[in-house]
Amino acid sequence: MVEKWAYSESIESSDIVNLEKKYGHFINGSFVSPKSKKYFDTVSPSTEELLSKVSFGGKQDVDNAVSSAKEGFKVWKKIKPVERSKYLFKIARLIQERSREFAVLESMDGGKPIREARDVDLPQVAANFFYFAGWADKLDLSWSNSKFKPYGVAGQIIPWNFPLLMLAWKVAPALATGNSVVLKPAETTSLTALMFAEICSEAALPEGVFNLVTGNGETGSYLVNHKDVDKIAFTGSTGVGKQIQASLAGTGKGLTLELGGKAANIVYEDASIDQAVEGVVNGIFFNQGHVCCAGSRLLVQESIHDKFIEKLERRMQQLRVGNPLDKNTDIGAINSKQQLEKITELVESGVNDGGSIFQTECELPANGFWFKPTLFTNVQPAHRVTREEIFGPVLTTITFRTPDEAVEIANNTEYGLSAGIWSEKGSKVLWTADRLDAGVIWSNTFNKFDPSSPFGGYKESGFGREGGRHGLLSYLKEDR
Amino acid sequence: MSEVRKTYKMYVGNSFVRSESGRTYSIELSSEIIELPQASRKDVRDAVSQAKKGYESWSSLSPYNRAQILYRLSEMIEGRKASYIELLKESGIKNNEAKKDIDEAIEILIWYAGITDKWEQLSGNLNPVAGSYFNISHQEPLGVIFIFPRDTVSLKSLLLSLLPPLSVGCSSISLSKTAGALAVMLAEDLNNSDLPLGVWNILTGSYSNIIEDISKHVEIKGIGVNMDFDNKDFTIIQSNASESVKRTFRMNERLNLLSLHPFLETKTVWHPKGK
Repeated sequence: MVEKWAYSESIESSDIVNLEKKYGHFINGSFVSPKSKKYFDTVSPSTEELLSKVSFGGKQDVDNAVSSAKEGFKVWKKIKPVERSKYLFKIARLIQERSREFAVLESMDGGKPIREARDVDLPQVAANFFYFAGWADKLDLSWSNSKFKPYGVAGQIIPWNFPLLMLAWKVAPALATGNSVVLKPAETTSLTALMFAEICSEAALPEGVFNLVTGNGETGSYLVNHKDVDKIAFTGSTGVGKQIQASLAGTGKGLTLELGGKAANIVYEDASIDQAVEGVVNGIFFNQGHVCCAGSRLLVQESIHDKFIEKLERRMQQLRVGNPLDKNTDIGAINSKQQLEKITELVESGVNDGGSIFQTECELPANGFWFKPTLFTNVQPAHRVTREEIFGPVLTTITFRTPDEAVEIANNTEYGLSAGIWSEKGSKVLWTADRLDAGVIWSNTFNKFDPSSPFGGYKESGFGREGGRHGLLSYLKEDR
Repeated sequence: MSEVRKTYKMYVGNSFVRSESGRTYSIELSSEIIELPQASRKDVRDAVSQAKKGYESWSSLSPYNRAQILYRLSEMIEGRKASYIELLKESGIKNNEAKKDIDEAIEILIWYAGITDKWEQLSGNLNPVAGSYFNISHQEPLGVIFIFPRDTVSLKSLLLSLLPPLSVGCSSISLSKTAGALAVMLAEDLNNSDLPLGVWNILTGSYSNIIEDISKHVEIKGIGVNMDFDNKDFTIIQSNASESVKRTFRMNERLNLLSLHPFLETKTVWHPKGK
């Protein structure tokens, strides 16, 4: 057993964040109390302490937000594209200025390590607004001779794993293309979205262009089924995605879905092993494994299996699990009790199915929701742990002998969001990339994101792309 | 001496077949009434298994090769132009309109034959990511596609719906009722155009009894309907499609990049740069 290096705590102060006791919805340019008259708690998953109370969006609240967005659209579509561009550039700047505050709040409310919120989420959030700002006045250059128009009111429903980043992925392209927005953040992570609403006010974004209704799945379904919503963009589970697709049938509304994944991370025997170990660890343990594109299925070539697993376990043992606000922390808190129960149940099924389990030795805090970094070996492709999306820090391992076999195993899933390939042989990397049914392929790297790089799934991982030139099409209709 | 009459058959897996059900429906032409096969659920399933094979071979051909095969189809149609015009006239279309329809159909075919090796340059690109990475987005064909073309007797209209998926490497199955005889005539030229087995399949008849099977079939990866397709029936298709997150869309029936887009998946590949 390898000892951890001793580190002194280095806690990021949460003083910078000033939370209200409770928050309203953001509709027509101001915060309003919920018509539902209901609020719910939002807690820190690392301490279980109450952070604030957030409004529950009932039917009347969603109605109000959508009619505000309808009015907002009338204003927004008439604004000169270059002016839209300026607003978005300004929002990007304001986010950069308050980046530290956002990062701390994101870590507190969602449980992710401050290091990731600070170094990944927030820089990417600002970059997304910056990138799409520049598209607003160039839409007719984007796809050859095609002429476009916006859908109108975009209803956007986002998950809890990258709360502010998913907001940026949705809101930036929607506004750049001239749509107005009603956003529904995830139930457990509304706070940074509420702070973003403040930014919109600071940027003097016209009233009604960006609206925010907080709540749960019920709130989301009011938004999905609202007759005046012209386009739905959803990121979340495949199960809910299918329900949304069914309820939009025949309505003519636009729909893009970014759903679950069960990505294969293929390590060939000619890979740079140490680099691959790092990449595999980053692939699954980044953000506690709460990543739809996480490399949750390790496919390792049989000839290097034992050596690779030994190195991997050694590396896993170095991971620091604990206080998300400690700058040393690699793995923060599981986002909610409910998610912790789901992970626990799936891991138990893996053990019961006969898988060999390795969990790192570490002390977990007394309060909050935690799960030790976990590795399964000796599992079969039919086991639930290798088929179902766990959305936690749990990696399964399967071996393969030939590249053909690796591709076959990798594609043997209903999902098709992402995949990883590790090999020092260029031709083999490209051969493999051509054959994997996945929308994003990381070769000799993993979990890299950029606003200019389209992201989205094949098969049951959804349709439509976010990011890049391709991401514009998610919010534009052909002008006939 | 009496004339030999043509038996109209569907085109599945590069063979001309009757419906497995034995059922037919009739179309009244000005000089005769003809019988066409009414496609059954089993015919749909057979077509899908052929189209799966077709997808494997068609998508692995070089775009240059696909271009030549589609161009060959235009040569075949050109050679039988008179027969097409005759069939359109038999369906009640005036001579000059019939001639115009076939001429324009050939132009559309030429457009799509020429785009097979160009669309990827127009719809894919290198992405300027902030970091030392090679990052490229390119497109791949969706797979087996089911098409509901506009049901009017027009070769132009038929090809506007059928060519987009084929030009990007998908295989397709289509269903025509009123235009059934025309679709079968097209199939005869497909059969002379060196298309690999199962790439382009043509069914005839009404969809009312098979719409559920088509929209629920998990091996059909996308369903395209024409702009005026009945919305009640499209609702059934879209609702069933959600069970496997199947792609469904109204086709724009235009000659542009967006006509191809519904039949494509975008794949983004990252690789670090370094010494």
